[in-house]
Amino acid sequence: MKLIPIPKDKYDEYKLTLMFDCYKWDPQYLDHNTVAPYAVVVTKEEHKELVKLIEAIDAETTAAEEYINQHQELIKPLALPKRIRRELHKITNYERDKHVRLKRYDFHPTVEGKWAVSEVNSDVPGGYAEGSLMPKLALDTIGAGDKYWCMNFGEVMVKAISGKVRPGGRIMLVHCTSYSDDRQVMQFLGDRLKEAGFEVLYGAADHVKYENGKAYSILDGNEGELDMVYRYTPLEWMIEMRRKYYKDYYGSTVPTCNHPIAMYAQTKRFPLLWDELERNGISMATWRELLPETLEVKDAKGKEGYIYKPACGRVGDGISIKEACIGNEYKEIMKDVKWHPKKYLAQKRFNPQPLEGENGEKYNVCLGCYTIDGKHAAYYARISKSMRIDSSAADTPVLIEKGE
Amino acid sequence: MTDKEIYRIWAPLGKRWSEWVRPVPFVEIHEHSKAYSLTLHDVPVPDLSEDKFKDAAIIVDLPGAESVEAGLAYARLGYRPIPLFNGTIEQSGARTTVDNQSVGMALVEGVKVVRELDLKEEALPVFMLDSNRLHRHRIDVTVFDNSWDIYAHDMPSADYFIKNNIHKIVVVGDFIGRDLRKILYGFQKKKLEIWFAKDDNEPKKIKVRKPLWGEVE
Repeated sequence: MKLIPIPKDKYDEYKLTLMFDCYKWDPQYLDHNTVAPYAVVVTKEEHKELVKLIEAIDAETTAAEEYINQHQELIKPLALPKRIRRELHKITNYERDKHVRLKRYDFHPTVEGKWAVSEVNSDVPGGYAEGSLMPKLALDTIGAGDKYWCMNFGEVMVKAISGKVRPGGRIMLVHCTSYSDDRQVMQFLGDRLKEAGFEVLYGAADHVKYENGKAYSILDGNEGELDMVYRYTPLEWMIEMRRKYYKDYYGSTVPTCNHPIAMYAQTKRFPLLWDELERNGISMATWRELLPETLEVKDAKGKEGYIYKPACGRVGDGISIKEACIGNEYKEIMKDVKWHPKKYLAQKRFNPQPLEGENGEKYNVCLGCYTIDGKHAAYYARISKSMRIDSSAADTPVLIEKGE
Repeated sequence: MTDKEIYRIWAPLGKRWSEWVRPVPFVEIHEHSKAYSLTLHDVPVPDLSEDKFKDAAIIVDLPGAESVEAGLAYARLGYRPIPLFNGTIEQSGARTTVDNQSVGMALVEGVKVVRELDLKEEALPVFMLDSNRLHRHRIDVTVFDNSWDIYAHDMPSADYFIKNNIHKIVVVGDFIGRDLRKILYGFQKKKLEIWFAKDDNEPKKIKVRKPLWGEVE
């Protein structure tokens, strides 16, 4: 893997095009530019190896979540929010083929020349346009279509939805409508779905009502039955809103992405169930190979080289990497870990192999690898000079070497 | 003019503070479903010409297009106008909590003023916010909520202000919203002075109280 620069004389136009034609509406975070002046290049061999690992780890996750769903007596170690736990028993008729299952695994190269996975974004992973239009634009900007190619998340997702929703069907893209950062993701997908002939509604979680196994839009001026509910609101937020509307959500067969079954692997405490899963014949071998050792907070006490991660953390925030924390952040996290150990887990730190920029500067990279219905669908990378890849990291397109 | 051209007039390349211009209202200009007849007026704004405000950035936090008008009034006095509007356009057909489309149209209209400005490289910034953004109350659950908050990460850090010789923040508005208060409290902790000017009254130095538990980002 390596970084190649976006030509300096083309960078400003590249960034402007990203904002206006590629749904990159958040190009600045505090004092940081979130559009990297680089593209990540994955070699042909690395891509081949990654596809194998991604699909193997995804098969394990899928088998695990379906097993856990059938054996909900096991879920205590996951420490899921109480309100979600209370609803899970309603998932009695989950059929994988009826829904679209999207996940994103965060891969990191290590100094040992291997890969490490830091987590799976199982519930509502983002970065769709960055995994679709951004690499295409980078390819055109660099002018290297003869050397590299790129994947397209949007195409794969639309194809998956088309396989499960009737032609011209009505799809609500459920998101937090107050956040433009969420809307940019939904707008990208909505525009692709409209191109494919679907009717698209943008709405919030409380604009969907489930009744008798069907989903209805109650959005002002857009009422009526829905053929699919595409959810970009995290389940733990959704459950806080209008719970009575969602009493049938968990048991509904209306196609959705992602189904609430995603929560079992979304919690970072998912590895704490692996021993039990393996005792019952579910292999977690690829996960064990890629994920650094993960323990209950109490079991890591006194041990060196562990970091703490919030069980329901997102975009890398709230992780106790001391040198990456700003101000009192590290102290605050550690205080919270002490008071709420069950809301965290301890994970052995791995040694990331940074990539080198054109002036020798070092960047840590997080390679997001999407799967849709079990198949590798796209990449989305973020790079940072910090050890922690969080909201201030820069979005970076991923190109794949064509090879000889 | 295209959306990109309008954006570039408000966020000229290579100019300090331009990076913080949010693209959202510009990206959505072609999505507007309402027909507006909007004329921007010259409006009186609090006088910040005293020497003590030579190191002050302004945050105008007024309703909708009024914020753009006040921002442009300061721009005519030499400040660089930086729109921070971040609200989205509603699903077509739905009633909304906030009229974000009118702000977009005001930015389109404002181009006539901004492109005539000859601002100095070291121009101080005037950030513009729509105080209606916090209208979260829905008369009915079916209404589309396109209210929004301003977050600390949508603005430059206190350190960046200080590095650029800015030691005061003057808020021009009718009130200080709870989201902005959180940001100002953070600035205050970093020793930036916070001033508040209501209507066209003389600005007063204020102490921002600590956000209540649960309010801190």
